[in-house]
Amino acid sequence: MRKRIHITAPWPTPEEVKKRYPVSKASEKAIQILVEEFKAQLSRQTEASQNSFEPEKRRKRASAA
Amino acid sequence: MPPPPDPKGVFLNIPYDEEFSNLYVAYIVGLCQLGMVPHLASEIPGGDRRLTRIFKLIQGCRYSIHDLSRVEVSVAPTAVPRFNMPLELGMTITWQRLHPSRHDWFVWESVPYRIQRSASDLNGTDPYIHDGTVEGVLRELRNAFSRDSAPTVPQMFDVYRFVDGNLDAVLSRNGTSNPFDRSVFMELCRLSNNLVGPLRHNKSGVKPS
Repeated sequence: MRKRIHITAPWPTPEEVKKRYPVSKASEKAIQILVEEFKAQLSRQTEASQNSFEPEKRRKRASAA
Repeated sequence: MPPPPDPKGVFLNIPYDEEFSNLYVAYIVGLCQLGMVPHLASEIPGGDRRLTRIFKLIQGCRYSIHDLSRVEVSVAPTAVPRFNMPLELGMTITWQRLHPSRHDWFVWESVPYRIQRSASDLNGTDPYIHDGTVEGVLRELRNAFSRDSAPTVPQMFDVYRFVDGNLDAVLSRNGTSNPFDRSVFMELCRLSNNLVGPLRHNKSGVKPS
């Protein structure tokens, strides 16, 4: 039987992360840019997956009418 | 007696070799995505003897992962077996035996049942098998550490791809080619942690801020 741990400790706060993993100013700036890039990537993915459901939604609406 | 361990702290006892770097990044990303705080021996600045520093790190973490998947003899010029991982596992087991409520350890392997031959004293311990793949590491981390609102394995894999895709830039920013360097480890952890928020917001349907 493998051990499985349920974690109830709160998620690390941004302040905790900053203190725990110090990086240079240049790295900090680069990370900020990367986070924005990742957010944009997520938005594009969400949009694309919503669009892929559109024909299905239209079909359902048409059959309901 | 040292202060109580960090309840989210996970000491990573892994091989520091280039072929392992993708799994190393997967461990960092996966743990951060589960709200855990990874620690690596290389993060501690010098001063004390290396073993003393490692022991302090183990004592400071509530959990540890010991990846014994690299049992092969290292490549030339001086082919030697690696004893660091089993040594650190032994130290951890002793610490946990003395203070059971302070530490839990996990053994990880890539091949099922191999550990029964490589470290038969561990019989009775079921290792997590990651198949030597990034997906395997992420899947098994999720199996070992459950958490409400944890991301799915594909979501974790997306973050891994993003972080790994930026590894070269992280290395060059820190003037090194060694992904296990302290500064690289710190930056990878910081980046992985900063990607938790956007993913969680996106998952819950809230627009990332």
